[in-house]
Amino acid sequence: MELTLNVRRRGGGALEPGLQAYQIEVTPETSVFDALVKAREEQDGSLAFRGNCSVGFCGDCTLMVNGKQVVSCLVTVGKVQKDNEIRIEPIKYATVTKDVMHDVNQFLWDKANSLSAGIVSNSTAAATEEELRPVRTAMRCTMCGLCDDGCTVIDVNTEFKGPAALTRIFRYVFDPRDTRHVERAVEVGEINGIWDCVHCWEASEHCPVGIDPTHRIMELRDRSVRLGVKSGRGNRSAARHYDAFERSVEKSGWLDERALAIQSSGGLIRGGLKMLPTGLKALRRGKATLMPHPKRPGAAQIAKLFERYRQVTGTRH
Amino acid sequence: MDRFAFYPGCVAKGSCPELYESVTLVMGLMGMGIEELEDVGCTGAGVLSAEVSDPINARTLAKAERLGLPVMTICSTCQGIIGAAALRLQDPEYRSYINREFLAEEGLEYQGTTEVKHFLWVLVEDFGIDQVRGMVQRPLEGISISPFYGCYLRRPADVIERPERKKYIETVTEALGATNVDISGKGKCCGFPTLMINEPNSLAMTAKHTGEAQDKGADAMVVPCPLCHLELDGEQEQAASAANRTIEMPILHLPQMVGLAFGVSPKELGLGRHFVTTSKVIAKLELAEAATAT
Repeated sequence: MELTLNVRRRGGGALEPGLQAYQIEVTPETSVFDALVKAREEQDGSLAFRGNCSVGFCGDCTLMVNGKQVVSCLVTVGKVQKDNEIRIEPIKYATVTKDVMHDVNQFLWDKANSLSAGIVSNSTAAATEEELRPVRTAMRCTMCGLCDDGCTVIDVNTEFKGPAALTRIFRYVFDPRDTRHVERAVEVGEINGIWDCVHCWEASEHCPVGIDPTHRIMELRDRSVRLGVKSGRGNRSAARHYDAFERSVEKSGWLDERALAIQSSGGLIRGGLKMLPTGLKALRRGKATLMPHPKRPGAAQIAKLFERYRQVTGTRH
Repeated sequence: MDRFAFYPGCVAKGSCPELYESVTLVMGLMGMGIEELEDVGCTGAGVLSAEVSDPINARTLAKAERLGLPVMTICSTCQGIIGAAALRLQDPEYRSYINREFLAEEGLEYQGTTEVKHFLWVLVEDFGIDQVRGMVQRPLEGISISPFYGCYLRRPADVIERPERKKYIETVTEALGATNVDISGKGKCCGFPTLMINEPNSLAMTAKHTGEAQDKGADAMVVPCPLCHLELDGEQEQAASAANRTIEMPILHLPQMVGLAFGVSPKELGLGRHFVTTSKVIAKLELAEAATAT
C-alpha cells in the first residue's frame, strides 16, 4: 500500500517547524516504527526519532500516532492509517530534541534514577514463586513511558516522579528478599512521590503491557501504611491527611469534612486560619454547620473493622 | 430495576447537601424507589488503605445484599472504590477471607451478588433515556454544557464494565436538549484528591478544566461527583487566581441539571448554594423558556 507519513519536524537548524509528508510503499503489517525507518533510509537521512529493538522489548520508540500515544513498533500501519495517512508527533510531556525524538533521560530515567533501586539483601535465601508473583508483573515494564505521558499529575507538574519510576520501586518494596522496605517507603513518600498520585487510572489505561501502574502505586501506598510510613520526612501534609481521614472514619463511621480540612492543613491554628474564609463561605451557603459531627449508626462496628484490620495485617498504628 | 439501596456517601450528606436533595427529588419524580443505607461506612475514597476499606465496603455490599437490592451511588469516587472492592470480592478465596476475618463477628456474610451502579448509569440503563426525554418540561435548548466525568466513571475498564458508559453524560445532556461542549480533560482528575497534599497541582488541574470550558463557550459544566464539585466549584476562585486569569464557570451536579430540565425550580435544586454563581445559566434558561412560551 502507498502510505503518507505526516511527521512533525522541528529543530535541526534551518528546518521550519511543521508537518512534513513522506510517501512510502509498505504492507499493512509494517509497524509504524519500520515505516519511519523506511522513510529515513529511502528519503531523508536527517529525520530523527527514537527506536532500538523494533520488537516491543526496549520501550524506546514511544510516539504520538494520530493523537494517541503508542509504542510505535507494536502498532501496524494498517491498523492506524486513515485514508492511507498517519500523523506522527512526539509524546506530550517530554522535551523534544529534534523532530519526534525526545530526551528520554529528562522524561524518564533521571526521575527513575533519583530513587534507590536494586535489592539489598542480607541473605542468600531464595524467594518462592508465589512470593514473587506481584513483582513479576511489575518486572514486565519496558520503561516505554506511555504511563507517564498519560499521567494527569505530570500534565500539571513535570517534577512528579510518575508511574514508571514509582512502579519500578514497587518491585523492591514487594520483594521479600529486600531489607530496605521502610526506607524505600519513606523515599517514595516524599513530595512528587506516591502520595501525589491522584489515582485517576490513566496510567493503567495507557500501559501497553498490562502492568496496571496505578494499581501498583496504590499497593505501594497500602504497603507504606502497613509499614507505618504515611509520607516522606519532607511531606508531612500527606501523613496528616491520611491520619485525619482515618481518625474521622474510625471514630464516626464517615468523613468529618471540617475536621479533615483543618487537621490536614496543619491543625487548629494553622489549618483553622487557612480554612476560615472557605468555612465562612460554606456556612453562609448552607454547606457547613457549626453543630458537632454526628456518628453514623454503624460507627461502632466500623471501628471494630479498623481494630481487626490492624490485628490481621500487622499494621502499625 | 426500579428500586435501589441508596448509598449517598459522606459529601452529599455533608458539604454538598444540594446533591442529596436534588437526587432524591429527581428519583422521586422518575418513580424510582430508594432505600437509604444508614448504618454503613465511608468507602475510604482511595485515601484509606484497601486493606481496611475492602472490609468496610464488603459490609456495605452485604447489607444491600440482605435487602436484595443493587446499590446506587451518587459520587464517582464512591462508585469507583466500592465498584473495585465488589470486583475483588468476586474472588471466592478473597471473599471468604473478608467474611471470616471481618464480617462474621457481626453475623454478616457477603455472597458476592450485589451490583453497584452510579445514578448516571441508573438514569440511562434502568430508567431509560427515552423516558428521560419524555419527562423534559423545560428543554435546555441554547444552553452549552461541558460534561466533566473525572476519573472513576471512565476507568478502570474492568470496574466500568461497559465502554458505552464513557459517553453517558453526553447522552443525557442531549436528551435534555442541551449542547455538549467537549473539553480535553473531561476524563481527567479534577484535582480534589491532592488538594490537601499538593495544592498547586490540585489548583492547576481545576484552572485547566474550568478555563478550557469557559474558553470553549460553555455556560456550565456538569459533574457526577461531589468531590469534583467541591474542587471545580469550591476551589475555582483560588485556581483562577493561581493561574492568573479570570474564570467564572458554574458547576452543576448531574441531578440538578436533570431536575432543571424536568421543570424543578432552581431553589429546590439548591442552585443558590454554589460558590460560583449559577445565576447567568438560570437566567439564560428562563429566557429560553419564556421565548418558547410566547
